[in-house]
Amino acid sequence: MNATFWGYPRPDGSVGIRNHVAVISVMDNCNPVTRGVANAVKGAVYLPGSYIRGQLGEDRAITLRVTAGLCLNPNIAGVVLIGLEPVTMGELFDLIAPSGKPVEAVNIQGAGGTINSIAMGIRAAMRIAREVSKIARREFPLSMLTLGLECGGSDTTSGLASNPSIGIVADKVVAAGGKAIITETSEFFGAEHLFAERAADRAVGRQFLDAINAAEEDIMKQGVDLRGSNPTPDNIRGGLTTIEEKALGAMAKSGCSPLVGVLEYGDRAKRAGLHFMAGPAPAVESITGLAAAGCQLAMFSTGVGNPIGHPVMTVIKVSGNRNTIDTFSDNVDFDVTSVLEKNEPIEAAGARLFDYGLGVCSGELTTAEILDVQESAISRFGLSM
Amino acid sequence: MVRAFVLNASDNVATLIDPAARGAAVSFVGQSSGSITATSDIAFGHKIAVQPIRRGDQIIKYGKVIGQATQDIAAGAHVHVHNVEALRARGDKRKAV
Repeated sequence: MNATFWGYPRPDGSVGIRNHVAVISVMDNCNPVTRGVANAVKGAVYLPGSYIRGQLGEDRAITLRVTAGLCLNPNIAGVVLIGLEPVTMGELFDLIAPSGKPVEAVNIQGAGGTINSIAMGIRAAMRIAREVSKIARREFPLSMLTLGLECGGSDTTSGLASNPSIGIVADKVVAAGGKAIITETSEFFGAEHLFAERAADRAVGRQFLDAINAAEEDIMKQGVDLRGSNPTPDNIRGGLTTIEEKALGAMAKSGCSPLVGVLEYGDRAKRAGLHFMAGPAPAVESITGLAAAGCQLAMFSTGVGNPIGHPVMTVIKVSGNRNTIDTFSDNVDFDVTSVLEKNEPIEAAGARLFDYGLGVCSGELTTAEILDVQESAISRFGLSM
Repeated sequence: MVRAFVLNASDNVATLIDPAARGAAVSFVGQSSGSITATSDIAFGHKIAVQPIRRGDQIIKYGKVIGQATQDIAAGAHVHVHNVEALRARGDKRKAV
């Protein structure tokens, strides 16, 4: 059986599972205008800017790259850039324009302040919204999908039920010629040797271990104890005792496919197969990196309950904790409690989740989308000057 | 019935998938069988020692090391942050040296 989904073709050859107009700030001081524009236009998604101004070197390059990456995500049909001044906005414009998507830009200084900028932005977004509304869904092979693998608000049920179920889906996507990306560097501490054994070649394995070791060395150099931060207080309440225990459960999201590539935060995967993306563990920064890396969809396991989704990338919440299914169901899309309650084999739970995921790719909305429980924030790697 | 999930036959802890009251018989499911008496109330999702664990012993779950016991732990006792510590990313320990 060759799995397919119904998606939106893009001029760069990629396929969206949503057809959003991105209204995005070039830098943080544009966010109020960006909000004003996005709120006025149906189908527009608000993407706040993070810093840019005052950033230097690699830190600035990463923020620019990730901001562009969000616009290049296949779920984005067209883009309205809101900038303060034209030079920095031009840098971002040049990164996005080669995709062939419609891009318009509003510069707040040139427009003459907030009210004019919002009016110009709304008209630009309206033009793009009308244009991209003509794009119809078509049937595409699953090989066009890049699946993000995420966990948040984890507990011990995550490692027993929801993460392994997601792992089954990841393997199915990879087997179909698609891509899957796992991230959250610190959540490999204690499990990395097992993941490294799955590297397709020695160089990839070395690259992966280098990323893990560099993150741990950062913590060691600071003389701090990761236990103050991870596992989090709610992870601990959910029964997770150490980062090693959390990592062994978290890794199950990746299934058992070989690791073919290691990516920097927000970098695009260029070949089919399972990738590791270096990046922080907290959900908002992490899913923002996955969205910038081109994931149209993420499967996000939660134990004690983490509701957050991303405005660019559709997020499916999966839980295997019966208490969470009882008390937090407004924010859960898929229930795998039968793994622990009814001895449902992981393969069966994963197959159910896979079928549901195909439906979501073809248009079924998730709780995070319907309730607009969505947030975007780009990680910071240096200081402002 | 109070159930505790054993992931690997070599594990010295099991994960409760029902809450246990002190004195409850906890039945192992998964890669082990038999039962043990909980020595205290233990919440859903928390771990129980399946055998006596000595201070300094490794805690094994998934057949892998998840930490180290900071005190002797009786069979049937709650195993968590009060009696287990992580061994990774412990910059605090390097500083102390």
